[in-house]
Order: sequence, then C-alpha cells, then structure tokens
Amino acid sequence: MPRLSLRWRVALVLGLGSLLLTSALAVLVWNLSSGYMQRQREQSATRQAEVNVRLVDGALRTGSDGLEELLTGLTTGPDSTVLLYRSGQVLTSGRQIDPQVLPDELVDLGRRGVPATQRLVVDGIPVLAVSLPISSADAAYVELAPLLQLDRTFRFLSVLLITGTLVSGLLGVALGSWAGRRALRPLTELTKAASLIAGGDLKARLPTQTDPDLARLASTFNTTADALEERVLRDARFAGDVSHELRSPLTTMVNAAEVLRRRRAEIPGTAGRALDLLTSEVDRFSRTVVDLLEISRADQEADDTNLEVIDLVSLVDNVLDSRPATDVPVRPGLPGPQVLGDRRRLDRVVDNLLDNAERHAGGAVRVAVLSHDGHARLEVDDTGPGVPPELRERIFHRFDRGTRAGSRGTDTGSGLGLALVAQHVHRHSGTVWVEDRPGGGARFVVELPEAHQ
Amino acid sequence: MFGPDNRGMTLSVLLVEDDEHIRQALGLALDDEGFTVTDAVSGEDALDLLKTTTFDVVLLDLMLPGVDGLEVCRALRAQGDLPIIIVTARTDASDVIAGLEAGADDYVTKPLMASVLAARIRALLRRSGRQDEVLRVGELEIQPQTSTVLRAGAEVHLTRTEFRLLVELASADGRVVSREQLLQRVWGYDYFGDTRLLDVHIRRLRRKVEADPDDPELVVTVRGVGYRVDL
Repeated sequence: MPRLSLRWRVALVLGLGSLLLTSALAVLVWNLSSGYMQRQREQSATRQAEVNVRLVDGALRTGSDGLEELLTGLTTGPDSTVLLYRSGQVLTSGRQIDPQVLPDELVDLGRRGVPATQRLVVDGIPVLAVSLPISSADAAYVELAPLLQLDRTFRFLSVLLITGTLVSGLLGVALGSWAGRRALRPLTELTKAASLIAGGDLKARLPTQTDPDLARLASTFNTTADALEERVLRDARFAGDVSHELRSPLTTMVNAAEVLRRRRAEIPGTAGRALDLLTSEVDRFSRTVVDLLEISRADQEADDTNLEVIDLVSLVDNVLDSRPATDVPVRPGLPGPQVLGDRRRLDRVVDNLLDNAERHAGGAVRVAVLSHDGHARLEVDDTGPGVPPELRERIFHRFDRGTRAGSRGTDTGSGLGLALVAQHVHRHSGTVWVEDRPGGGARFVVELPEAHQ
Repeated sequence: MFGPDNRGMTLSVLLVEDDEHIRQALGLALDDEGFTVTDAVSGEDALDLLKTTTFDVVLLDLMLPGVDGLEVCRALRAQGDLPIIIVTARTDASDVIAGLEAGADDYVTKPLMASVLAARIRALLRRSGRQDEVLRVGELEIQPQTSTVLRAGAEVHLTRTEFRLLVELASADGRVVSREQLLQRVWGYDYFGDTRLLDVHIRRLRRKVEADPDDPELVVTVRGVGYRVDL
C-alpha cells in the first residue's frame, strides 16, 4: 500500500478521532434517551391497563351486560386492542387481531396472577402488550398499546445521531486537511526553493519567517544555499582559471611542435627521435587536456541554453563530411528522426564514436540512424575484435582503455572519448551501450528521445 | 573594398596577445604558413599600430591587460570591417557570444594549431565570386560587385561576413539554406561544432537589415533546419 502523505495522515487521524468521540457520545445519548422513553411508555401503558383492569373487574363483579361496550370504550385509539381471556373464550375490542399471535406464556402469566409486559409486532404494528390478571374471575386482561409514535421518535433520533457522527468525522478530516496544509505551507515553499536550486538557480532563497519554529529552518536553509552558491561560483572560477592556465602553455607547445615537425629533416639521429617522441606526445597531451577540460566543464554546467531541434541524419552527415579521411561504406539515408539537443555535444558524440572505431577497429563500416520506439537511434558498426561483455560498461569510464590498457600504441587517444560520449548522451536523457555486431565486430548504439514537432 | 586579393600575396596578420611565449610560437608557426605577422602586446598597442599600418586580419586575444579584448574588438568594428578572429582560452558560451557580439567574424579556442588558424584566415579573406547580379530582397538591394547593400536607397553598412551571409541567403531565392551550408559557404571550412557563430551573425545581420529585429520579416528562421529569406 502506498504510504499516505503527512497531510492526509493528519487529516485521517483527526477525522477518526472526531468520529470516535462523537460516536461514543451518540451511543451514550441513544442508550440514555431510548431507555428512558421506553420506560416512560411502559409505565404509562401499564398504569392505563391497571386502571382499565379495575373497571373490567368491577363490571365482571356486578355481572353487568355492558361488558362489550366497556371494552370498546377502553380502547384508546384505532391501533390499540383490548383482549379479555375468560373461561376459554376471548373477547376482543379495538383493532381486530388474531389472538393466536399473542404468545401463550404472556397470557398464562396474566391468568396465573402475574402482571407481565412484552414488546411485540402484531400485524405489522409494534405494540407493547400488557397482561394483567383479573382478581374476581379466572381471567386475564391483555391490552396492546401501539408504539408507533415511540418508534418514529427512535428512528428520528438514530438518524440524527448517525448523521451527526458522520458529519463530525468528515469535519474532522476537513479540519485536519486544512490544518495540515497550513502547517506544511512553509515546507511547500522550502520544496520550491530547493527544487529551484537543484534546477540550477543558485539564487533561490526562502523568505524570512516570523514563526519561531520556522525561522531557524529558513535561516539554516538560506545559509546552506549561500555556501553552495559561493562554492559553485568558486569552483567555476577555478575551473576557468585552470582552463586558461593549461590552454595557454599548450598553445605555445603545439605551435612550437608544429614548427619543429616542419624542420624534422634538419634534426638527425638521437635528437630527431627524441623530437618525434616530444611532438607526438605534445599532441596527445593537448587532446587529453582539451577532453579533460570539456568533461569537467560538462560536469559543472547546469544549464542547457543551446537546445534546438536537430535532424540526426544531417548532423551525422555533416560530421562525416568534416572528416575527409573517414570513409564509411554505409551511411544513413534521409529522412531521419529529430531530437532536441545541443548540436555541439551531439557532433562530439558522433565524432568520438568514429574516432573510437578508427583507433580500435580499423574504422566504422556502417553508420545508421533509425527511429525506434519513440527513440532516435544511432548505430556505429565496426568489424574489429569487438568488446568482451565484462568490459562493456568499463569502456565508458574515464581513462579506462579496456584491454588495451598497459600496451599503449602510438595513438591511443585521450582515454576520455567514450566517457565524453556517455556524458553527453546522458545529458540528453539518452543511453549508450556497445553490443556485438551481427557478423562480427562491435556496434555502438546511442538512443536519444525523439523530438515531436 | 575588402582589402587586397589574397592570391599570390603575403597576408599580413596583426597578432594581439599578451603571453610572450604564445606570441612567439604562433608567430613562428604562422610565418611557416606564409603570413607576415606583426605582434601587439596589448590593446592600446594594437590600436596604435592600426592607426599607422593596415593589416588583412587581426587575431585578438580576449584577456588582455589594460584595454580588454572585447573593447578593442568594438573599437575596431566601429572603425570599419577589418576581419577579426578571436583567439581565446575562454570557452564559456557567454564569453564566446560576447566576443562575436562585439563584432568578431570568427573565433577559435586555444590550444589551436597555426595550420587550423591559417585555413580560417584564408576562408575569411576569400572573395565570394559566385554571384555578380544585383539581388533584391524586400526593400533591400544587394550589389555583390561593389559589396554594398542599399535599403530603400540608403546604404546599410555590413561587415564582410554579414554581407556574405546575406548574399548566400538572398541567392537561394527563398529556399531554405541549412545551418551547415551557411557555415561551410560563409566561413569556408568544414565547420562542425556549436552554431553560436552563425546565431550571433544572423542576429547582427537582422539588427542591420530588419525593420524590427525581434520580429524578423526578411531573414526567417526555419526551425530545426536553417534560414531563408522571405521574398
């Protein structure tokens, strides 16, 4: 079961508490009032019956003939019934009922001289049956007093109590939800500020709080944000300085190397061989530094301001065209899928994958751009030795040269090419991996979310 | 009016760079590539030199002591359309864009090889001889032979790069020209990488030829592809 949010938990607890309290009160009210009313009704019915029994008793004693009229006069309403059990015969007046529906024990109790009362439902009407003995004869007097009025009152009371209980529970939930929202409002602001910072807006701060409980949180948060902002700015400045301090001497070195390389013929013997080493290493060093600066800059940059809709096929074509020495037999055909991306970074991805194929597998034999399941897919195939499964993740790590580590040739690259590919692809919310190419070799696959116009 | 034709002539380069080693190494390497290199160690130095001497192209470092590279760039642009290539160790997008907005025609980031730089200089100075007819776009009249643009009869002053950009777009007769085609034809090398170079130049061009640069009616963006002129 998914965990409920704090707000809803507060609301539910308050609602439940309110429900429990009001239902306990309702039960209490119900018991007290219904018991009291029931007793009142019984007492009044019994008193009435006792008075009536005395009248009937008197009539029986005198043996007057007006017994039937008397009994008729004793009924109090259309729903009440009077029954007289006398030597095997039953006299009924008022609402006519079948005497069989009355329980025998009740009548027997009356006959034996024990007064009794019982609640019954007779012909669909709730009644209170009062059974009394008639002292002068071996007879029982039974009066059925209707309870319709009382039952209506009970129903009304119960509806009132149940509705009240439910309403109070709902009110509790509403109150809890409102109070929860009120209490959590500073947290909402905190979340907003924190996500702004996470999104790259390092200037986002919490407003000063007047509530002493929240003031500390706000000031702590703002202090942390200040520190973070300063740290990021310092890091960026430092990275900029490092970049400048490395790029400047490299500019001197690569150009001096170029001048020397032109004059290689003038420098024979050992000095010449040393010069070869120096110039080729300067080139490699330069590439490594540039890649390293790019990869660390990409680490830092939070904003992507250069996003545009790019046709992947023309991008690949353009990169291939800019590498006159690269000859790929199978190239993508138009039209291709479009992606939302940073052109410079995607150029770099394609370029580095082609570099990689050239360096380790004698060059790419097929570059394909496909549309696949809502993804734009770039495949770069080579017919080299392939990449063993255990190295397929590692080759995308920085400075991890796969199996070639330890036996560097003259041109091993910076060791950062595929790491840069992975980094740029991830920035575009894409994935990159290497698999076996059908027929031998490696297939590097890049998948980017396709842009829909 | 775009300086001497570069075929068969030695091109003169003003290298504005405060780092002594870079100045020497780039100077030697560019000399090997066939350029005549004159050094300037600061912005003031460069502006002084330009008062007395003419150059075909200026290579400008952005981080200079005293007068900042951007200011030098703006000052030069205010004086005319001398081609400027920014050579910078700053690679942040904002720095690059600031340099281009200040009027530079192109930029390269250090460490750069003199051979790459040479290719870019030659591309920049290459005369575009493809088009000789007078072109008309809206109320613009483009005269490739004299490299002038008239807007409703009045001359609009464009830099060499802006002019070539406009000619490439105008001669496509309203068809879309892709970003890659524009970069290759105007900047002349197999350009790949960021398109800020093109974006900033389009922006600069619009500022000069559009009635409302924020709502361009002549040079129209075709999303995801490139640009076209609205005839």
